[in-house]
Amino acid sequence: MASRRGWARVGMGVAVAGAVGLGLLAVPAGAGAAPELPPVSAEDLVTSVVEAKDPGPLHATVTLDNALGLPAIPGVPQAANGTSTAQVWSDGAGKGRLSVPSGQGEKTIVDDGTTVWAWDSADKTVTKKAVGTEQKPPQADVTDPAAAAQKAVADLRATSTVAVDGTAEVAGRPAYELVLRPLPTERTLLREVRVAVDSEKRLPLRLTVLANGSSDPALQVGFTELEFGAQDPGMFTFTPPPGATVTEAPDRPGDAQKPQRPEPKVVGDGWDTVVIATMPPADAQQQGGRDGAPDLSSIGKEVSGPWGSGREIDTAVATAIITSDGRVAAGAVPAQVLTEALSQ
Amino acid sequence: MTLVESATTPHRRSAPMGRLLGAELRWVLRRPRTLVMLGLFALVPILIAVGVVVADRSGGGLIGAIAGNGLVLPVAAMTLMLALLLPLAVAMAAADAIAGEAAHGTLRGLLLAPVGRGRLVVMKAFGVLVVAVVATLVVAVVGVIAGLVVVGGADGTLVTLSGTTLGLGEAMGRVGIAALWTVGQLAAVGAVALAISAFTEHPLVVLASVLGGLIVFGVLGAIPALDWLQPYLLTTGFSAGADVLRDPTTWGELGSSTLRALCYMAIGGGITTSRMLTRDA
Amino acid sequence: MTASTDERTAARVAPPAAAVRGVRKVFGRTVAVDGIDLEVPTGSVLGMLGPNGSGKTTLIRMLLGLTRPTSGTAELLGHAVPDAAEQALPHVGALVEGPGFHPFLSGRENLRRVAATEPLLATSQIREAVGTALERVGLADAADRRFRGYSLGMKQRLGLAAALLVPRRLVVLDEPTNGLDPAGTRDVRRIVAELHAGGATVLVSSHLLAEVEATCTHVAVLQSGTLVASGELSALLEAGTGGLVVTTPDVDTALESLRGIGATAFREGDGIVVADGGPPAPEVVALLVRAGVAVHEARRRRARLEELFARLTEESP
Repeated sequence: MASRRGWARVGMGVAVAGAVGLGLLAVPAGAGAAPELPPVSAEDLVTSVVEAKDPGPLHATVTLDNALGLPAIPGVPQAANGTSTAQVWSDGAGKGRLSVPSGQGEKTIVDDGTTVWAWDSADKTVTKKAVGTEQKPPQADVTDPAAAAQKAVADLRATSTVAVDGTAEVAGRPAYELVLRPLPTERTLLREVRVAVDSEKRLPLRLTVLANGSSDPALQVGFTELEFGAQDPGMFTFTPPPGATVTEAPDRPGDAQKPQRPEPKVVGDGWDTVVIATMPPADAQQQGGRDGAPDLSSIGKEVSGPWGSGREIDTAVATAIITSDGRVAAGAVPAQVLTEALSQ
Repeated sequence: MTLVESATTPHRRSAPMGRLLGAELRWVLRRPRTLVMLGLFALVPILIAVGVVVADRSGGGLIGAIAGNGLVLPVAAMTLMLALLLPLAVAMAAADAIAGEAAHGTLRGLLLAPVGRGRLVVMKAFGVLVVAVVATLVVAVVGVIAGLVVVGGADGTLVTLSGTTLGLGEAMGRVGIAALWTVGQLAAVGAVALAISAFTEHPLVVLASVLGGLIVFGVLGAIPALDWLQPYLLTTGFSAGADVLRDPTTWGELGSSTLRALCYMAIGGGITTSRMLTRDA
Repeated sequence: MTASTDERTAARVAPPAAAVRGVRKVFGRTVAVDGIDLEVPTGSVLGMLGPNGSGKTTLIRMLLGLTRPTSGTAELLGHAVPDAAEQALPHVGALVEGPGFHPFLSGRENLRRVAATEPLLATSQIREAVGTALERVGLADAADRRFRGYSLGMKQRLGLAAALLVPRRLVVLDEPTNGLDPAGTRDVRRIVAELHAGGATVLVSSHLLAEVEATCTHVAVLQSGTLVASGELSALLEAGTGGLVVTTPDVDTALESLRGIGATAFREGDGIVVADGGPPAPEVVALLVRAGVAVHEARRRRARLEELFARLTEESP
C-alpha cells in the first residue's frame, strides 16, 4: 500500500498539472512548423491568386485582431483594439451566410440568391432586400480576406519589394507568405504587409499589417478555421422567426449621397499616398460608420501650421488630420507628410 | 487472535462506496439550508418571467431576448445565476462538506469509522456535485416551465440568436447542453471551494473566499490592462452559456471554458486530496 | 513496576492493543506530548489520568491516527498509525473530544449516518445495530428528537452509542462521563464493565479519579506531556509511596536516632516518614522505643489513587 504521503504527493501533482494546463490554455495555439512547399516566385504566386478559381463551398471562421490603437470613439466600440470573429458560409454559387456574434446577441446576414436577409437579435428585426445574384452581402468586401489581399497586392506592387518569404500554416492549411515591404524612399508608418496564400487553392488566407516600431501585428485578419466542401443548404435560407419585425431595406443613404460628394484629392503615390477629402458639415456622419453619429471633435490632439489648424489622430498604421475648415487628410504616413500635403 | 477475528467477522476496511454516497446524498438533501436555497432558486426564473411580461419592452442582452421567446428563459436564468447565485449554492455545499463537518466534530467520526481519506474526498466531491446538478436542474426545469407558461410566445419554439427557429425537442436539447455546461463550471467552483474547505474549520471562510474570489476575478477580467489574465480566469467563460442559443451552436467558447473548468477541477481536486490525506483532524 | 508489567505482558503472549513509542507532538512552539512510551495491554481497562492540557487527548488522537506524531511511532491493534490506521479502525470504537453530530438530524438519523460508514456493519444490519446501540446507552426514548435539542448528557450518550455500534476489540473513551448525571455515570461504568467482560480493551481518559479507580485495571498518569506513572492499578497503589508513617510527638529525637543508623527519614505532619529501603518496620519501632520516643502509631502507607494522582501532578511549581 502506497503511503498516504505518497498519495498526497500525487494529489499535488494533479493540482500542478491543472495549473500547467491552465497555462497551456492561455497560450495561443502555436504555429506549427513551417510546412515544406515547392518554391514559387512572387510574380507566379500573385498571378495564381488573381487567376484562382472560386474555392467552392466553404465554412470558415474569420478572426480580426485589431491593434491599430484607434482612440476610443464614442458610439463605435467595434473600432477599439481587440479580437472579433465572424462565421462565414458559402455554397460556392453565390449564396452565403455571415454570422457576427456579439456578447449576448448576434447579427446574421443570409443571401439566399434572391434576397439578402439581415437579422439583428438585439431588437429582433429582420431587414430584407431583393438583390441580383452578383451582389454580395454588404460586408463581404471587408471581411473576405481574398478581396482585401488582392487589393493590397495590386496597389502596392509599384512602390514595394514583393517577395515570397517562407511558408506558414494558417487555419490548418499550408500557405506561402507573400511579403510586401515599402521601398526605402517611401515615407510610411508601415513596415510590411504579409499575405498568407493557400498553397493549393491559391486563396489568400490571412492578411497581416505590421507597423514600424512593433513586432506584433497592428492588424491581422484571416481564417482561423477553414473547411471546404458542400454545406448544409439550410444555411442559405432564412425564414423570419415568429415575433420578429420585418422591414424592407430602404436604399442606403450613402448610395444617394455619394455622387454629390467632391472627389477626394490624392497626393503622392505608393505607401505615402495621402488622401485629402472635403467633408461638408452635414455629411460628417459618414466618417464614423453607418449606425451612429460619432463625435469626432473630442478625439485626437490639437495641431496647427501654415496649412491651418485642426485635430490630429494617430494610430499604429495611419495618421489623420481633420482641419477646422472641414478637410480630412489621411494616410499610412507620419503627420509631417500629411501637413505637407495639406499645404500644397 | 487476528485469525479468529477474521474468521468470524467480515473483514472490510471500508464501508461499500455506494452506501457512503447514499448516506452523503441523504445528508446533503436533508440539510435545511440546501432546501431553502433550492426553493429560492426556483423562484428566480419565475421572477424573471413575470418581470419580462410586466415590463413589456424589449431590453438588451439575454433578458431582452426572452420577451415573446419563453424558451430562452432557462438559458438566460442559468447564465445570470452562474454569476453569483449558483456558485453560492456550490460554495455553501463545499463549505459544509469539510469545514462544516470539522466544525461539528463529525469529520473526526468519518475518519474514525473509518471512511478512508481518499474515499472521503470522493464522497464529499460527490455531495458537492449533487448540489451543483440539483441546483442547475431546478433553474433549468422551472425556467422551461415558466418560459412556456408565463412568457409563452414563439409557438412553443425557440428563436435562436441567429434568427432561426428550433422545435421544442431541439430547444430542450439546447437547454440540456447549457445545463451540462453550467454544471461543469459549477464543478470547477466546487472543487476550488472544497480545497479551501479542507484548510479551515470555519464554513464562512469558504463562502467568503469563493464569492470574494469570483468578484475579484470579475473585476480583473474587466480591466483592459490585464487582458493577458483573461485566459486564466474561470469567470472569463461564464457568459459562454448563451452560445447554445446560436444556430449553429458555436462551440469555441463553450469548449475552452469547459477545458478551463477541468483545469480548475484538477487544481481544486488535487489540493483537496493532498490536504485531506495529510491533515490532522 | 515496569518489570512486573513487562513480565505480565510477556506471560500473556498478546501484543498490546495499542502502543506508542517515543511519541512527541509539537504544535507550533507548544510541546503537547513530549516523548511518551505507553502500551495498552490487550484485555485491560486503562485509565488515563492527567490535568487539563497534560496531553491526554493529543495522545489519544495520535493513537487513533487523527494526528501524525512529530516523531516516534504509534501502533493500533498491531497496525502502524496513521499510515495503516484504516486496517485497525474498523475494530475500534471511539468517543473523542466530545460527541460530534449534526444538529438538524435526529439522534437516530445521526447514528444511521455513522452506521453507514462502519465497514463491519452489513447494510441489512444497520437498522438493528442502531436500535440496539440506542437502547444500550438509554437513549431509545429520545432517539427521534433532533440532536439540536439534546442535553449535554444525551449528546454524550449518543456519542457513546456511536462508539458501540459494532462489536469492538478496542474502545477509546475520552472523558465519557462529561456532562452525565450520576445515573449516566453509572451507565458508563456498567458499559465499561460489560466491554471488559466481553474481552474488549478499553482506554478511558477521565478526570474523575473515582471512576478510574472503580473500573480500571491499569492506569497511566500524564503531566505536561510526559508520562509520570503507568502500570497495573494494584501495583501502583502498593508501590512507590514512600514508606512507614510514624506518629510521634518527639519528632526531633526520632529523626536523630534514625539518621544515626543511616536510614532516610523526614518530618511529615505530626510525625515522621521513614523512606523505603531502610530497616523493616519492627526494627524501626524497636529503635525508637529504645531511644525513648513515644510511638503513637506506625503504619505502612497504602496510597489511594487520588492521593497518588494529586502527588504526581501537583509536585511541579
